[in-house]
Amino acid sequence: MKDERELVLSKVRASLQSAHLPAARATIPARELVAVPPKEEMIASFRRELELVGGKSYLVPSGSQAAELTVQLLHDSANEYKGNEILSWDESELGIPDLLARVRGAGFEILDYFVPADPEARQARLAEMGRAIVGITGAQAGLADTGSIVLLSAPGRPRLASLMPPVHIAFLRVSELFPTIAHYFAADGEKTSGSSNLVFVTGPSRTADIELTLTRGVHGPKHVHVILIA
Amino acid sequence: MNSDTETVFRAPNVSFHDRRELALADPVLHSALNLATSRFQTLRLNALATLPAAEEVRDRARLIRAHTLSRLDQYLEQFTAQVTAVGGVPHFAADAESAQQLVIEIARARGVKNIIKSKSMISEETELNHALEGAGFRVVETDLGEYIIQLAHETPSHIIAPAIHKTKEQIGQLLHDKLDIPLYTEPADMTAAARKKLRQEFLTADMGISGVNFGVAQTGSICIVTNEGNGRFTTGAPRIHIALMGIERLVPTLDDLSVMLQVLARSATGQNITVYTNIITGPRRKGALGPAEPDGPEEFHVILVDNGRSRVLATESAEILYCIRCGACLNACPVYREIGGHAYGSVYPGPVGAVLTPALGGIKQWSELPHASSLCGACREVCPVRIDIPRMLLVQRDEGFRAGKTQWWLRLGLQIYSTTVIHRRLYRLATGMARLGSRIVGAPTRGWIRWMPPPLNGWTNSRDFPAFAPDSFSAQIREHQAKQLAQKDKLLRGRAVDGTK
Repeated sequence: MKDERELVLSKVRASLQSAHLPAARATIPARELVAVPPKEEMIASFRRELELVGGKSYLVPSGSQAAELTVQLLHDSANEYKGNEILSWDESELGIPDLLARVRGAGFEILDYFVPADPEARQARLAEMGRAIVGITGAQAGLADTGSIVLLSAPGRPRLASLMPPVHIAFLRVSELFPTIAHYFAADGEKTSGSSNLVFVTGPSRTADIELTLTRGVHGPKHVHVILIA
Repeated sequence: MNSDTETVFRAPNVSFHDRRELALADPVLHSALNLATSRFQTLRLNALATLPAAEEVRDRARLIRAHTLSRLDQYLEQFTAQVTAVGGVPHFAADAESAQQLVIEIARARGVKNIIKSKSMISEETELNHALEGAGFRVVETDLGEYIIQLAHETPSHIIAPAIHKTKEQIGQLLHDKLDIPLYTEPADMTAAARKKLRQEFLTADMGISGVNFGVAQTGSICIVTNEGNGRFTTGAPRIHIALMGIERLVPTLDDLSVMLQVLARSATGQNITVYTNIITGPRRKGALGPAEPDGPEEFHVILVDNGRSRVLATESAEILYCIRCGACLNACPVYREIGGHAYGSVYPGPVGAVLTPALGGIKQWSELPHASSLCGACREVCPVRIDIPRMLLVQRDEGFRAGKTQWWLRLGLQIYSTTVIHRRLYRLATGMARLGSRIVGAPTRGWIRWMPPPLNGWTNSRDFPAFAPDSFSAQIREHQAKQLAQKDKLLRGRAVDGTK
């Protein structure tokens, strides 16, 4: 197949000679983002917005308490989904020492998350990962105005951990809260190019495709727990 | 390859008139549409109320779209250079056929059998599923609404809610028949059953095909917004990901993307943001120097589809390319709300479709669609980027008229009308007769005309028509002015009398 790049580009250029584009301007003027509100306000807004879309939020003072809460949530999930296998980001990416040792100590098995390039090995690994009942991840940032968490893919941070299991537990440091998505891009936008995937996750997966009836838990998690660490 | 012909966007064989009548006669469709479009409208209003300075954000969103299109060639070059820089492969397709061939060749060269898709309007536009199935691939739609539509062998009837025209009873029966599952009555049970079936597809597919909400020129990223998570699976689990996008779908920077995201979900589903706002920048990083990313596709392709867009860019309808496919104009349109998406006969229904379809597919085949509007302006009112759809509907109507696509009786009627209104005596005579006629017919019903002779009964068969006023406007004005003069005269004379005292 010959590349039609030049054909399309030349047609675009020819059309632009006479294009009537209302409101077009040569540049998009710079804008000032709203002032960053106090931390307490952002925490309150994040929690309110997340709960509005069916997520759960917790505020704990330390990593050790986050670990304790995680084990408790794992037991609850094990009761609901009957299993003990989970997916998790690497401990270094979660930033909570001994978390995974405590999780294993509580009887949970952490599955291998590395998806091989070979097609058959790939499918086999995906099938194993599909058994996980919980995915544990960190979060690179949070958005106060929508209750979203920001997850950037990287070594030790599989993207499927926040998608495949029916339960997602995420840790977010309150120091990483931004007022809006625009503030996040202004501060950390350049990180986008370094990862193949950046996803803003806002509550549990949902659909309203049947008579607009809201159903939570479609292909992604049904339960999203965000543990804010002060 | 045939860049300027209209191979895709074939108009259906049934006329728009018949499609419309069919839709109007369907009570199930009617109640489904009513429910959905009203809900969407309320949700949209509530969501916009949560956005500080919403009007300014919409202005900026419009400016971003207009600016991007005015330098589309430069942004396309920047975008494709960035896609390459992060390890992706950009392709261009001049038309639908080229887009189909590109996908088929990529898939064949890599031994692909099973393909999963997340919702993509451009894949509908280019009839991609049909081409892929014809080439021997198994293709499964993974958005719940699209999955239902695919099982039913239908086409979407709404840009963001494809199965809006179906009731839950119809869907329960369909899933029962096609998937060998119990007959469910609750949407939650149906969704759970579909999840189970589709999960198997996600885990075994060789290739994922997605659409694109926005491409970001600055970073070579594509942004896909979904709620179900199927978009993340489609782009993240299979070893190959192909993204299809219209060439107009770009924004310059991540900051611009953030503006568009603030209005897209609010206008579409009334959410402040969708559950998953997914930004993909190249394939999984291999880590030549350090460790690799643990998952994600080995290959990432972007196909930039023209299919008539570069031609539309030179026309008076270029503004329709600002569209971000939120569907708000469908929900607001009194015509869409009555007839639904299928009656338009195009992939793109509603007000946006009434402009975009003839613009892309040619006015000769689609001359009826620009008339599927009362020009009330509700679409322009709700559009997050303030596209002046009524203006372009008029442009398209004019083009249809010039192309000789107007019915003889309408042509004749317009001829008679224009002759009458520019001749004063003829105009007075005509309105005088109309007044007299309407007074006679409207007399027994206190000024409301319930019956008129053909062809005017096209109106009175389904609604009343008010009788003409007994006197013409100019006669009333003359009388009014005469009265005022007389009164003024009287006052002046009265004052003059007082002055003598």
